[in-house]
Amino acid sequence: MATAKRAPARRKPAPAKPSSPNAPPLLEWISAAIGLACALTAIGFVAWDAVLGERSPPAIEVRLVEVTPTPHGFVAQVEAVNHGGSSAAQVAIEGVLSGQGGPETAQATLDYIPQRSRVSGGLVFEHDPRAGRLTLRAKGFADAS
Amino acid sequence: MDANAAYGRALARAFGGALLFSFPLLMTMEMWSLGMAVERTRLLAFLLLSLPMLLGLSYYAGFEPTFRLRDEVLDALAAFGVGFLLAGVLLAVFGVLFRQGLSLQADLGKVALCAVPGAIGALVAGKQLGEGAPSTHEKERAGTLGEIFLMAVGALFLAFTVAPTEEMILIAYQMGPLQALLLMALSVLLLHVFVYRLGFPGESRRREAGGALRTFVGFTAPGYGVALVVSLYLLWTFGRTDGVAPHEIATMTIVLAFPAALGAATARLVV
Repeated sequence: MATAKRAPARRKPAPAKPSSPNAPPLLEWISAAIGLACALTAIGFVAWDAVLGERSPPAIEVRLVEVTPTPHGFVAQVEAVNHGGSSAAQVAIEGVLSGQGGPETAQATLDYIPQRSRVSGGLVFEHDPRAGRLTLRAKGFADAS
Repeated sequence: MDANAAYGRALARAFGGALLFSFPLLMTMEMWSLGMAVERTRLLAFLLLSLPMLLGLSYYAGFEPTFRLRDEVLDALAAFGVGFLLAGVLLAVFGVLFRQGLSLQADLGKVALCAVPGAIGALVAGKQLGEGAPSTHEKERAGTLGEIFLMAVGALFLAFTVAPTEEMILIAYQMGPLQALLLMALSVLLLHVFVYRLGFPGESRRREAGGALRTFVGFTAPGYGVALVVSLYLLWTFGRTDGVAPHEIATMTIVLAFPAALGAATARLVV
């Protein structure tokens, strides 16, 4: 209570004290304009995303990009695309290779896939994935933070 | 043209200050992932709140010795621009931005989140790295509300450097109730001692006038209250409180209020 009573009297921003009557230099206007543009960009984009962005759960597609034979197995480079409207963390992706004897499974964990974004990784197989039938999918994820 | 040159120097100082104050955050991994993951409405609220805060800060410690509203608005906007551009450039250099396949929103979130501490640094730099002491007259103007505002900014500023890290949650998990109470007592004690006993430069001597108890009730207690509120707000913004049991939220707030209290105490030194 006491603080509220005292505050207004002191906080007057000294309006009748134009100690520097000259107008601000041009550079000040320019930098303020750039700052305003930055602020509007940031706020505008975030607001647009907050109001219009959809909140659908992560929908993760895993697709094969390229297979490279290496001395340490066949490296299948894959891409995980999150088509959903929210981000996913610790995404476990799995590839099952069948058609050459028993099925062979390889998996990897991708740290973080933001909404509508794409992250790549690799799965390593003993047999050539191009020769068999490769099924790729995301097994699960944690909600981001 | 001379005024432009002087302003250019002030602007360069502002960039220096923003760099000094925001690089620890720019080089923290959690800031990047939080920039993408923070709920957009909370990020929006944070950005919208930051503008009046910068305006207030510019009033007390702008990078130019001004008092007029127009100049303060210009300074606050320029400071936001400095923080934003600096965060954008540095994050791009660190390879955080423009990662292949990531959406524009993700990049923008990272830059926007890092822009605010940079902007505070830009405004504070005017005082810290300035030649003269243009803000001596402003200092006397700070009334009780102004004092509390400055404490809040100091608290936000220091707490922000650790609030995004996982360690805040980890520390809260590790602490028992007794330790939480101890940390609280320590925070209050340090706040009191730092501001009113140690004689740091910028300390307000007139606070002593009312005696120790008056000082404690009038300034230390509100200071710690401000630290707690700022901590809780930051934790909420970063989504750390979602679905967490109330006592765990309380412990996290107390943990974060420790740096926040130090920030509030040293607001006068920094800001």
